[in-house]
Amino acid sequence: MTAIIDLFSSDIVQTVLIGAALLGAISGMLGAFAVLRRQSLLGDALSHAALPGVCLGFLIAGGRDLGSVMVGAFATGALAALVMMLIVRRTSLKTDAALGIVLSVFFAVGIVLLTVIQTQGGSGSLGLMTFLFGQAAAILRSDLWVMGGVGLVALLLVLAFWKEFKLVSFDAAFARAQGFPVTALEAVLTVMVALAIVVGLQLVGVVLMVALLIAPAAAARQWTNSLGGMVVLSAAIGAASGAGGALVSATTRGLATGPVVVLIATGIVMVSLLIAPGRGLVWQATAARRARARISDGRVLATLQGFAQMHDDAGYPSERGMLQVALGVKPPAATLASLESRGLIRSVTHPPETTPHWELTKAGHSEAAALSGQPETRQRTT
Amino acid sequence: MRDDTLHEPEQALHVEDLTVTYGANPVLWDIDLDIPPGVMCAIVGPNGAGKSTLIKAALGLVRPVAGHVRFLGRPIGQMRGQIGYVPQRHSVDWDFPTTARDVVEMGLYRDLGWLRRPGKAEHARALAALAEVGMQDYADRQISQLSGGQQQRVFIARALVQDAPILILDEPMAGVDASTEAIIIALLKKLRDAGRTVIVVHHDLTTVQSYFDWLVMLNVRIIAQGPVAQTYSADNLRAAYGRHLAMIAVPAEEAAS
Repeated sequence: MTAIIDLFSSDIVQTVLIGAALLGAISGMLGAFAVLRRQSLLGDALSHAALPGVCLGFLIAGGRDLGSVMVGAFATGALAALVMMLIVRRTSLKTDAALGIVLSVFFAVGIVLLTVIQTQGGSGSLGLMTFLFGQAAAILRSDLWVMGGVGLVALLLVLAFWKEFKLVSFDAAFARAQGFPVTALEAVLTVMVALAIVVGLQLVGVVLMVALLIAPAAAARQWTNSLGGMVVLSAAIGAASGAGGALVSATTRGLATGPVVVLIATGIVMVSLLIAPGRGLVWQATAARRARARISDGRVLATLQGFAQMHDDAGYPSERGMLQVALGVKPPAATLASLESRGLIRSVTHPPETTPHWELTKAGHSEAAALSGQPETRQRTT
Repeated sequence: MRDDTLHEPEQALHVEDLTVTYGANPVLWDIDLDIPPGVMCAIVGPNGAGKSTLIKAALGLVRPVAGHVRFLGRPIGQMRGQIGYVPQRHSVDWDFPTTARDVVEMGLYRDLGWLRRPGKAEHARALAALAEVGMQDYADRQISQLSGGQQQRVFIARALVQDAPILILDEPMAGVDASTEAIIIALLKKLRDAGRTVIVVHHDLTTVQSYFDWLVMLNVRIIAQGPVAQTYSADNLRAAYGRHLAMIAVPAEEAAS
């Protein structure tokens, strides 16, 4: 217990925690817009393209100075975005191909520069490696002011242009028709994403940075149905992942921060995809099972009778898919089996189809007729 | 800079010499078009005829290489708030986290101006617009949970909330069921009868005569334009759609002759 208290009172750990949480919050907030605008992969290209800029900033400043490194990262990131836009506009290549090309070329240049700097040696060249996979422990107290500044600017912009960003993210064509400066608004959003990437590089590194943009937003979308909720929750998840990852890597020797942060964030995504109410897979499966349990024998019989009447054929073989559509859910195998064992329906083949079919037996027809007039028979018409 | 000289102010939509190209291929070629105020106009033509492009160019979403467009005599830049635009339903992601009322309020963002958020007055106007399309009970519903026809009606409500004298709809009947189509058409006719100009990109030739009173037939060039009774003829359909599709026009041919 005292060890944990000691840990939190340590200046370095405080800095790392605050920094990581800040970076996570910034990228979570801006990532929500990037995901909704389907620009997640642009974030990936931008972060990979930041590597040559990081190296150039290092070379020019002659050391690991956060300011020049960030300016460099931003510059090459912007250049990559521009090249991509030109490729898409001027050639027949589609966005995904342009993205792949730009991402790998810029990243390759970055790696070449990185190895050049490393062979030249120097004390700071080791610090450069942290930009590949991120190193929260490398965050300095003075860096916090830069991150805080970027975060504040992003927050103010999002608050000031909230409805415009919402409109542009949802329906850019309508926004343009209404006379909004859509290109400028989109540029602001993209530049903010680039800024988030640049400040996030220290924590997660260029390779995994995109996960910190996408994962919090993807997880948040599962739990909320409003844009405001999604942005706030996404920032919170980003902050929690950042802080959690920083803590784990600060307390465990030899664990790189970036991957841990990304694993925590994607863990939250997995859980959200599974259990979030309404959208989660488990939730949906449970709802489907409950609906199936409500399918009574009578409804199945009435549906089969309905098909038979519709086709004017007492022995009409109803395919499972048709039953499923009419009932709204897959008819439970147990229900069908019990109906069959009671001699009300029989399983038939209907070549050339290979799927299971059922028809009503004589007893089944009279049973269905006896049920007619009861609520279940309404299913026939739906 | 603002030029207040009106050009063809007696037309709701006036298009002259409009040419739009994608690459080297003309999508619209030398379009001259006039749609008078107060009509319900269909823009029809085969796939690739440039129907949507015509609308987008008129709204300034696509830059033409030549020609000009005027709404009630003014360029689009001065008319933004007075044109209700309903884009194709599939142009947006309906899984966006928002409600029906919120989408309708987007039609008021322009009037609100920068920095102001929608308030009580905007909520009320959005609800009234939803009521006009029969969607008031779905105001707080997630848009992803709406059916295609309901989503289309929300889109129309977003254009209605602006109270614009000119409405432009891009394929509003695409992928909606018959009852929704009837609701939409009844609503559009009501708006037309109230004096608004309704311009619709339409794809179903069989309903042109019953729904519309003005027709623009398009196939890269203008094939015909004018009152439906005069323009919906077998000759024009053949010119726009080619020999085979003009078979649709057989009943029209009888009606026209």
